[in-house]
Amino acid sequence: MTDFLRRLFRTPQGLLGCLIVGLILLAVVAGSWVTPYGPNDMQALARYKAPSAAHWLGTDQYGRDILSRLLDGARSTVVMAVLATFIGTLGGAILGTGSAYLGGRADEFIMRTVDAVMAIPSLLLALLVVSLLGSNSANALLAIAIAFVPSMARISRSVALTVRKQDYVSAAVARGEGAAYIVLREMLPNVIAPIVVEMTIRVSFAVMLFATLSFLGLGAQPPASDWGLMVSEARQFLHRSYWILLWPSAAIALTAIGFNLLGDGLRDALNPRT
Amino acid sequence: MTSDNTPVLTIRDYSLAYRVPAGKIEVLKGIDLTVHRGEIVGLVGESGSGKSSLASAIMRYLPGNAEENAGEIRLGETDLRAQSQRAMADIRGRRISMVFQDPATSLNPTLRLGEQLAEVLIRHQGLSKDQAWREGEARLAHVGLKTPAEMMRRFPHEVSGGEKQRVVITTAFACNPELIIFDEPTTALDVITARQILDLFGALQAETGVASLYISHDLALLSQTARRVAVLEKGTIVEEGETAALFRAPAHPYTRALIDAVPHPEKPLVEAPVGTTAPPLVRIRDVSVHYGRKGLLDTLLRRDFQRVAGNRSITLDIQPGEVLGIVGESGSGKSTLAKAMTGLNAFEGLIEFDGRPLRGLSDMNRSYRRDVQIIFQHPDASLNPRQKISEILARPIKLYGNKDAGTTRDRIVAMLERVRLPASTIDRYPHQLSGGEKQRIAIARAFLSNPRLVICDEITSALDVSVQASVIELLMELHRETGATYVFITHDINLVRQIAHRIAVMYRGDLIEVAPASAIADPDRKPYTRELLAAVTPPASTQRAQPTLS
Repeated sequence: MTDFLRRLFRTPQGLLGCLIVGLILLAVVAGSWVTPYGPNDMQALARYKAPSAAHWLGTDQYGRDILSRLLDGARSTVVMAVLATFIGTLGGAILGTGSAYLGGRADEFIMRTVDAVMAIPSLLLALLVVSLLGSNSANALLAIAIAFVPSMARISRSVALTVRKQDYVSAAVARGEGAAYIVLREMLPNVIAPIVVEMTIRVSFAVMLFATLSFLGLGAQPPASDWGLMVSEARQFLHRSYWILLWPSAAIALTAIGFNLLGDGLRDALNPRT
Repeated sequence: MTSDNTPVLTIRDYSLAYRVPAGKIEVLKGIDLTVHRGEIVGLVGESGSGKSSLASAIMRYLPGNAEENAGEIRLGETDLRAQSQRAMADIRGRRISMVFQDPATSLNPTLRLGEQLAEVLIRHQGLSKDQAWREGEARLAHVGLKTPAEMMRRFPHEVSGGEKQRVVITTAFACNPELIIFDEPTTALDVITARQILDLFGALQAETGVASLYISHDLALLSQTARRVAVLEKGTIVEEGETAALFRAPAHPYTRALIDAVPHPEKPLVEAPVGTTAPPLVRIRDVSVHYGRKGLLDTLLRRDFQRVAGNRSITLDIQPGEVLGIVGESGSGKSTLAKAMTGLNAFEGLIEFDGRPLRGLSDMNRSYRRDVQIIFQHPDASLNPRQKISEILARPIKLYGNKDAGTTRDRIVAMLERVRLPASTIDRYPHQLSGGEKQRIAIARAFLSNPRLVICDEITSALDVSVQASVIELLMELHRETGATYVFITHDINLVRQIAHRIAVMYRGDLIEVAPASAIADPDRKPYTRELLAAVTPPASTQRAQPTLS
């Protein structure tokens, strides 16, 4: 484990990615304790303020402190994104690995279905799910998870196909193990490395998808401090004070970059031979 | 024989180490070696002894983390260590060339064989493209390829392994180099093909008088090809001398152990078979295996579809308690039969196990799965790298163990003891064990379910000679203790003659014949069997008495 961390920190992407993601996770965990104001505390006398000593990142149209709202929103935005990615990835990985294990016509059927679902753009699919189930955060999470399943299934299947040919899988089949044991215990742990890498990269997509859904009014509802929602609301006041728009956008971008860098670093660290 | 006074290759006090995160690994320590013109020097050692690193050092093709001492590597008068990469590129192919182990990977699959051969001639001999092509054809005819003009236009996948290796050897000899390094050139080939390649190598060597460094782990083979042999152990040359003298009276204990570990057909390791009156444990009747599946598109377009046959109506009886050896070249269907018997391949025909008929995979129930166990060739691949030994060995107990025989962990420890591994192995991962230890774990896994039939699929071919000897010893001991029936699949005929009661010979999916091991060398065997046996290199130690070629 320490060896793995050392390898991760040796690459610039890995180090930077860890720093940014660490910072974001700190905001997620400790954000609500260090905020100078409540996220929904309105101050009628301090609307549209530029950054100052009292309000580090300025205030929005209701006089709410933007820094406080960002720190508070980190929890919902980032946690939801990570959770959605995790559910989608796990579902896709099990589907792909299972499909590779079954092989033959079953594999053909599963993968062609996955192809059909993949033909729908993930945002469109997420919109479809949310509009069918109703717009709230939980449904948005489910929508994103479902949208991630097909591509994860493809990736894990291609890795699992090579694992399927390994003798330890043959040994398990010859020994009479059940399909669930072979897929979950013999194959899945050996396809996990590329999946973990893909997962970290996908977290950034999920953050952006969440922001998009909230922006379109289909995710979190006001007055939630979700970052995408903050951008959406701030759009109308762009000409009065661009700070309101800038900070949440920057936070989304930073999170996306951080997870992307971490993914790159993990890819190098998990493949010591490259 | 060596009239020139300067040797072609001189290595003096050469050491090599690789830098790794954990420190430095010494691979070669103070190597002294000379190869004269017209001489074949054998370099023998087990895996990890540094044979291939030495070849890379001579070719000046070392990885970036290599660290060398001040030792000397000279080709004739040229100091190879002082050459720039550019100058080395000129020397490689023209003055030194190399033949690798696997012809399938040393030829570029996207280039025609002719292009790969002509490229060397164009690059180093300054021939024009047409000249090089014609020259290439002539050279290919010279190495005994029947249709050289056609061969030049073919791609590597369109010719056999033996033909590929002939092309590689032609390429190596193309520019009349001073030195050729052979890195196990016949290991990846079948016995009969390997014998032909060796004969060709001998002829070319005698004709050109090139100096050769022949790297191999096969002592028997070296004893026939090399004039001098150097034995490499853990990066040090422990013994060097004339081949005949060295094999007759090995001075170093390591050399002696190596020679003794070579399987010896005249020394059987099994007791004579018990009475064969008992009904056979397994009756295989007309079992065929085909690969490939007719696609939907083929059905729609009514296209003809040819399945590839892995086995063609095999009929075979296996007696309880016997060791049945199955030999044959690669692609002869040995492993396909093993996979059909363990339910990894669909098959047609009938397998009767202990009187119970099985017509397909669905007939293989829990008790059949318990009774029939398979051990695979590569322990690296057959043990899940993400599972600890405790989990790997717990599975057969969980599936088939009876509840009152103690806790799972106790039984694993007891089993580890039986395969002579320390109890502390239980909490390790497979990658922390050596190849032989891993194979012992695989054996332990098979025997934990108390099987009645154990199929060993080339289980020793990935191991070194000395490790192979100890694994075979363990298997024979377990055979005596448990009385399990073995099907032992191998291409090592010397080994199988030593341990099997009966030997089945397979060729291209057909079973040629089954004969008692003691009678396999009889002159009235089928022609293919005789051909196979004639190609086998007798073990080194049997040649002590014979006069050697001088």
